[in-house]
Amino acid sequence: MNLPFAAPDERKVFLTGLRDAIIIIPSYLPFALVCGVASVQAGLTTSASLALPALVFGGSSQAVMLQMMLNAGELWVAILSGIVVNLRMAIYSAALAPKVRHLSFWKRAATAAFLVDNTFALTQKRAAENPEDPHFLPYYAGMSAAFWPGWVAFCAIGVLAGNILPASWQLDFAIPLSFIAIAAMSVRGAPLVAAALAGGGASLALYHMPLKLGLIAACLIGLAAGLFTQWVMSRKVAAP
Amino acid sequence: MSELSSWIVVVCLAVGTFLIRYSFIGLFAHRDIPPWLDNALKLMVPAIFAAIIFTGVVMVSGQTVGLTHWPRYAAAALAFIAAIQTKGHIVITVTTGMFFLHFLPWVVNLMGF
Repeated sequence: MNLPFAAPDERKVFLTGLRDAIIIIPSYLPFALVCGVASVQAGLTTSASLALPALVFGGSSQAVMLQMMLNAGELWVAILSGIVVNLRMAIYSAALAPKVRHLSFWKRAATAAFLVDNTFALTQKRAAENPEDPHFLPYYAGMSAAFWPGWVAFCAIGVLAGNILPASWQLDFAIPLSFIAIAAMSVRGAPLVAAALAGGGASLALYHMPLKLGLIAACLIGLAAGLFTQWVMSRKVAAP
Repeated sequence: MSELSSWIVVVCLAVGTFLIRYSFIGLFAHRDIPPWLDNALKLMVPAIFAAIIFTGVVMVSGQTVGLTHWPRYAAAALAFIAAIQTKGHIVITVTTGMFFLHFLPWVVNLMGF
């Protein structure tokens, strides 16, 4: 049998991806427990509650859909809200497209299936550190081999055992902290910083927009701020 | 909720999410991304990361926490300094933030405020 990533350098990168993901996984335990508990409370059967994190593999969308179901809204509105939360992944998809275009259809589909905030964010961080990295796929597969089972297992604990962590520990805080580390590496230069500050500020101001559209709006406001900064900078360079 | 409708909900969200994830990977499999779109993507990614950070620090269970949760702001700022100093070391950044989140209120409490 031909094992994937058998070449020594590929295997090394695969293990690097696995390790980079494993150190992040614990920060997702509190959120996964909440998602697991919510799926039972929202009325999903146990088997569907266990399938949800495995098939969707997207915490925010799971949480938003379940919350809408708890609020006793229409089911299709709940599903639509969950999908809207994941629209940001279209941006990740476009950013990864050049890295996977030389791969077979099945490898591209698999890359898409495991695309989440963290796999994308670590890909960005790695690209900032090694711009000419030839080992995108082994790294990505290594991360996914840790993130996906970790997320599914943590959600399953929430489904079967309830929330076992005391809220006073505030472990949910570990998620934004891990993104602070990633952004510190990948957000460089005035246009990107402007986009980040505008997008972050807008996400707070627009948090309560219907259907969770605030994140999409914040993303567009960040884009506008970044484009404006690029325009101002190009004028400064052009001036005599 | 019945077994069937539970699974319909799960499968609908899963299929919708996969189509979004595959969208541009599929679209740009055999052609180049136009430069303007490439530039827009580079600017939107930091906006999304910042949105995840800002809402994660300021919001708890969907509610704005305000000044009563000041240790979250202070700990996030100190974690940011740690991230810059260590060139984005994730373990050090997260440990620094979690440490100060619990250490700062403890010190303030000890001093009797």
